[in-house]
Amino acid sequence: MYDIRLENVTKEFDNFTAVDDITFTIPKSSVTVLLGPSGCGKTTLMRMIAGLETPTRGRIFFGEHDVTDVPTRRRNIGMVFQYPVIYRGTSVRKNLELPLLSEKLSKDELDKRVDEVAEILDLTSVLKRRVEELDNGTRQKIAVGREVARQPRIILFDEPITNIDLTSKMELKRSMKELFSRLKQTIVYVTHDQTEAMTLADQIALMQDGVITQSDSPKVIYENPNSQFAGWFLGNPGMNFVPSEFVSVAGTKITSPLFTQTIDLGSKATSVDILGVRAEGISVSISQVAGACAATVTRKSIGAGGQYLLDLTVGGLLVKARVSHSIGREAKDTVWTSIASENITFFDSSGKALSSEIKVK
Amino acid sequence: MAKSVETLEQSIKDVPKAKKLESKKTWLSWGLLAPVLFFFILMSVLPTVWMFGLAFYDYTLTSAQNPRFVGFDNFRDFLANRALAGAVSRTLIFVLSAVILQTILGILIGVLFWKNDKMPGRRLALTLLFTPMVVTPIATSLFWKFILDPTLGVLNFFVSTFGFDRIDTLSSTTLAFPTLVFVDTWMWTPFMTLMTLAALGSVPKAELEAARVDRLPLTRLIRTVIWPHAKFILGLGLLLRIIDAFKTMDLAYVMTGGGPGDRTELIAVSLYRFAFKSFKLGYSSAVSVFLLFVAIALTAIYLYVLNARKKAEE
Repeated sequence: MYDIRLENVTKEFDNFTAVDDITFTIPKSSVTVLLGPSGCGKTTLMRMIAGLETPTRGRIFFGEHDVTDVPTRRRNIGMVFQYPVIYRGTSVRKNLELPLLSEKLSKDELDKRVDEVAEILDLTSVLKRRVEELDNGTRQKIAVGREVARQPRIILFDEPITNIDLTSKMELKRSMKELFSRLKQTIVYVTHDQTEAMTLADQIALMQDGVITQSDSPKVIYENPNSQFAGWFLGNPGMNFVPSEFVSVAGTKITSPLFTQTIDLGSKATSVDILGVRAEGISVSISQVAGACAATVTRKSIGAGGQYLLDLTVGGLLVKARVSHSIGREAKDTVWTSIASENITFFDSSGKALSSEIKVK
Repeated sequence: MAKSVETLEQSIKDVPKAKKLESKKTWLSWGLLAPVLFFFILMSVLPTVWMFGLAFYDYTLTSAQNPRFVGFDNFRDFLANRALAGAVSRTLIFVLSAVILQTILGILIGVLFWKNDKMPGRRLALTLLFTPMVVTPIATSLFWKFILDPTLGVLNFFVSTFGFDRIDTLSSTTLAFPTLVFVDTWMWTPFMTLMTLAALGSVPKAELEAARVDRLPLTRLIRTVIWPHAKFILGLGLLLRIIDAFKTMDLAYVMTGGGPGDRTELIAVSLYRFAFKSFKLGYSSAVSVFLLFVAIALTAIYLYVLNARKKAEE
């Protein structure tokens, strides 16, 4: 299998830079999710890997091969598009076989591959049907199956579940998770949906304004966002931010109306501007406890998992807290909140996280 | 319980009211349609009905006689008329050769433009390409007549400059008909190019890209990606062109007047002569009715094929 190396890859459209000088390696035999809001350049980057767009500058390597000028047809990749692509006028089986025909496989091998993916994607019962008869969800499954059955070294997914209905979405996500765990290919998956990214990724490459701002496993990015953007974009709801007017820095010590403790950051304290805390990093209790601040509940909503999401006003600032079912149910107008120092991420005035360099005492 | 009965009664009372509103709306839509319908009926439906009626009468404008009912005599005469049978078969050959040529050329040029969507001056080239189609057929016929003129024409200027004998294409028994086909092709190839571009444009971009990724060979690409999307628009263009070519009159009338002899006498030219030279309105109505049925038959065949395909796909 190949890794994919991008060297100073840039793509400019008329007067807009979609991808801005990215140097990055997508590791082989794993799932890398390019995650970011619309217009961040993730799809353009993927299309350049596929050869559907040519970089304005920079080189792209598959393993040791420079593929920058290799046409799509000769890149030996698979790609699943946002719009479910089916080849009309044929059966589902034929659709799965079509890209395999140029591989000159024996009939047995061909059938084996087709049956195998059909099984995983739950397409066995529709193999003989004509593709036009099927709904978008099934069509997209066929598209996924078609690319997987071919066993190219690299498979690209361009927001494959964006355009299909909710039930099929869940189903397809599940089958893809299953597929990805079996596949040995290098997989690149583009999405703007952080839940999808968290579920499917071995590593996430977070993109903003044409650059990759952070790349790591979902767990690491979630727990240690390196920027305010990463904290806000990953997580549902996004990270709570405490703006500088709620943060007092005195010497090496930091205090805030949102918590009672004083945090000693040593020499780094002076660069701290904004604090970040995740919704689940705020502890909430119904009755008054030592070291807690009083908070007013302004809104209460229950999540799909049974936990509650509370909108709280603490020390004049509105924050969101995720709490257990029992606490959420009992919460009245006033609750008591505390934030453990290790749950706080520190950002400088440019929005860059300082946490990696800071040890909380 | 009492209350629900009341509400039920109330809702029953509401029904006619709602209906009244509905009928008002219907009147509004009919009212808005009325002017168009009026002109449509006046200009299109009535004359057609009139024509159907006339086809069964002997009626010549230049004679003093009143229209006389003759039953199917006009049709019988017309079907027995050898010259007209010749004109019909000539028209069929004209339609076939011209439309096939235009379609092939149109598709080739269309594909060329489609493949090169980044070529410089594409827009200008397309605009220029479409001019023949925009010019009035009479004008086109006239200037081709001048180009091909044996003594003054620019074609023969070049022919004689290079030392060849002057040729009089439009008076030549062998060349007149192919020349008409050529001019018609010149005029209508852009239309098929336009249709080809529209048809190719209806193929989703993702499917074309997927075909590149999946390394589909060209024949597969055409069969499973392009054709299923392109066939409707292309087929529609073909149908329009066939019906229109069947009615070709101005071209032949202006350039050759049907000659030499009857070499370029298309059915529409004959029809024009019957109606507006001999003023035999009954007879020419019968011919028109026949032509109308040919056009309807072609459309019906096309729609039938289209529906059969759709059904097969379902």
